[in-house]
Amino acid sequence: MTDVILEKVGKTYPNGYHAIPSVDLSIEEGEFIVLVGPSGCGKSTLLRMVAGLESISTGELRIRGERMNEKEPAERDIAMVFQNYALYPHMSVYDNMAYGLKNRGMAKKMIEEKVSDVAAMLGLTELLQRKPRQLSGGQRQRVAMGRAMVRDPKVFLFDEPLSNLDAKLRVQMRVEIRQLQRKLGTTTLYVTHDQVEAMTLADRLVVLNKGKAEQIGTPMDLYNKPATPFVAAFIGSPSMNLVDANLTEQGIHLSETLTLPLSHQHRGDIVWGIRPEHLEVSDERNADFALRIQAVESLGAETLIHGKIETEFGNGEPMVVRLSGPHLPEVNSLMWLTAPMSHWHLFDAKTQQRL
Amino acid sequence: MTVTFPQKGLPWLLLLPQLLVTAIFFLWPAEQALEQAFYQEDAFGLSREFIGLENFADLFTDPLYYQSMLTTLVFSFSVAIVGMSLALLLAVMADRIIRGKLAYQTLLIWPYAVAPALAGVLWWILFDPSMGPIALWLKSAGINWNHYLDGNQAMILVVIASTWKQISYNFLFFLAGLQAVPRSLIEAAAIDGASPFKRFWTIVFPLLSPTTFFLLVVNLVYAFFETFGVIDATTKGGPGQSTTTLVYKVFDDGFVGLDLGGSAAQSVVLMAIVGLMTVIQFRFIERKVQYS
Repeated sequence: MTDVILEKVGKTYPNGYHAIPSVDLSIEEGEFIVLVGPSGCGKSTLLRMVAGLESISTGELRIRGERMNEKEPAERDIAMVFQNYALYPHMSVYDNMAYGLKNRGMAKKMIEEKVSDVAAMLGLTELLQRKPRQLSGGQRQRVAMGRAMVRDPKVFLFDEPLSNLDAKLRVQMRVEIRQLQRKLGTTTLYVTHDQVEAMTLADRLVVLNKGKAEQIGTPMDLYNKPATPFVAAFIGSPSMNLVDANLTEQGIHLSETLTLPLSHQHRGDIVWGIRPEHLEVSDERNADFALRIQAVESLGAETLIHGKIETEFGNGEPMVVRLSGPHLPEVNSLMWLTAPMSHWHLFDAKTQQRL
Repeated sequence: MTVTFPQKGLPWLLLLPQLLVTAIFFLWPAEQALEQAFYQEDAFGLSREFIGLENFADLFTDPLYYQSMLTTLVFSFSVAIVGMSLALLLAVMADRIIRGKLAYQTLLIWPYAVAPALAGVLWWILFDPSMGPIALWLKSAGINWNHYLDGNQAMILVVIASTWKQISYNFLFFLAGLQAVPRSLIEAAAIDGASPFKRFWTIVFPLLSPTTFFLLVVNLVYAFFETFGVIDATTKGGPGQSTTTLVYKVFDDGFVGLDLGGSAAQSVVLMAIVGLMTVIQFRFIERKVQYS
């Protein structure tokens, strides 16, 4: 059953700025949708429009078939976890969690029951009488989630909830959020700028760029078949190598002297891409091109090699190669590489669409 | 931060002007008042006699002094409560508006720049029973305004004049306090189903409590000690003793009644009160709740 529908939803600010031209998205019940994009792409604005904290300028938002555009945030049956958690600092953990239930006139007994259930689920039972300032970052994060869960809303909204935590805690909370969401089965809309977070959490991802949904799909769809160079560059770390090239009957001209043979009906300017992990080390005879190594990043489990494609004029495109295990090539030496055709990504340079 | 000066003289030289002002206008008169409180002096200041604690004994047996204390309490709490309520209301409204925000805020800060005596005169003219526009308007509305005759009306007048001057100060602090409340808390409360009114009383107002308490102390100190100019310009403590606050009584008894010893004893009592209030102020402000 479709739970949340955004139909041509757009946002124009009073000063005439088009933050979001038009976004279409339908979310199934229980689905975990991640909105991801660089800062300023409109992902938070879109989330806040669903929450009712920003007005919707054009289009329609429906939750369980009901139009929500004119409804107050409280009437939308949503719960939100804010980036800074937005816990009420003068209230205890218990009161923070009970506030929304009290406002809805729930009986005291019921509230107690609900709060203690959720607190037990999140391991907050011992902390119920504490004030937010007496909690660690991870505990605050949990309280913020508890406050959202206790109301048993139709939709969870998360606005970069993990960005204030340290790296280790972030990974831990990421797993926890995913498990909780699976257990509760609540439809979730989650905003982040971190593509790793996006990939690991999402059932489906929405990649936003300048207020436009560049692509909507499962993490693997986006990884294997990015629709635009923007998505290609955004999903995956380190990001995909993208080279402006020209497609003719001989193949792809990466530079004047370097051509990768290909028979394709498209002609003209294209963007050619290959992920760093798909480049293979080869020898001079079989290689597609050579890389002039500029820097080596050894991470133990893998090695990232940064360099430029070697051309006769010496000013080739930059490229990153990701090799598993430790490697220690000399800086400034040449590395011969093959780029398997099955891993190529071709985009029309003009329309920015996948070929 | 610590700044170290190469030579010992310079810091003292830099401090000297302020130290001089403090010594001449604060410490010396305070010492004089302390001393005079134990003497009885003739009206011309030609001779004086040590009388120990007699000035204080007289003071604390004088029903007029207790009357004045009550007047001061009524006056001070009225000024503090009316001033803070109005300032909070204005601050909430100024925080909401988007267009012309700066203009409103600037206009609301202006009264603070007006000298107390001028503020007094301003209100005195507005409320003058025979020509003041407000007094005439009240008269046409059936209220016979004459603060020269009616002690309660005189009190209302000094409260209005004193409050008006203090509203700007309160307004600024409340506005800063409101702006320091994270927007996301209000949004979270909105999602939690709290009406705007409820959001204010359950979220915003409690978060303003450090500011509110600070302003309460500041306003009481202001009403106690800094409203002489306003009272002198509007009612001169009258009619009768109805607007004679403790500070005004010091002036009235000392310079009008020429009871210098009694007046000095009153000053000493006031000094003790202001000392106590300062201690309270610092105690509570240092213990101010920190929200992170």
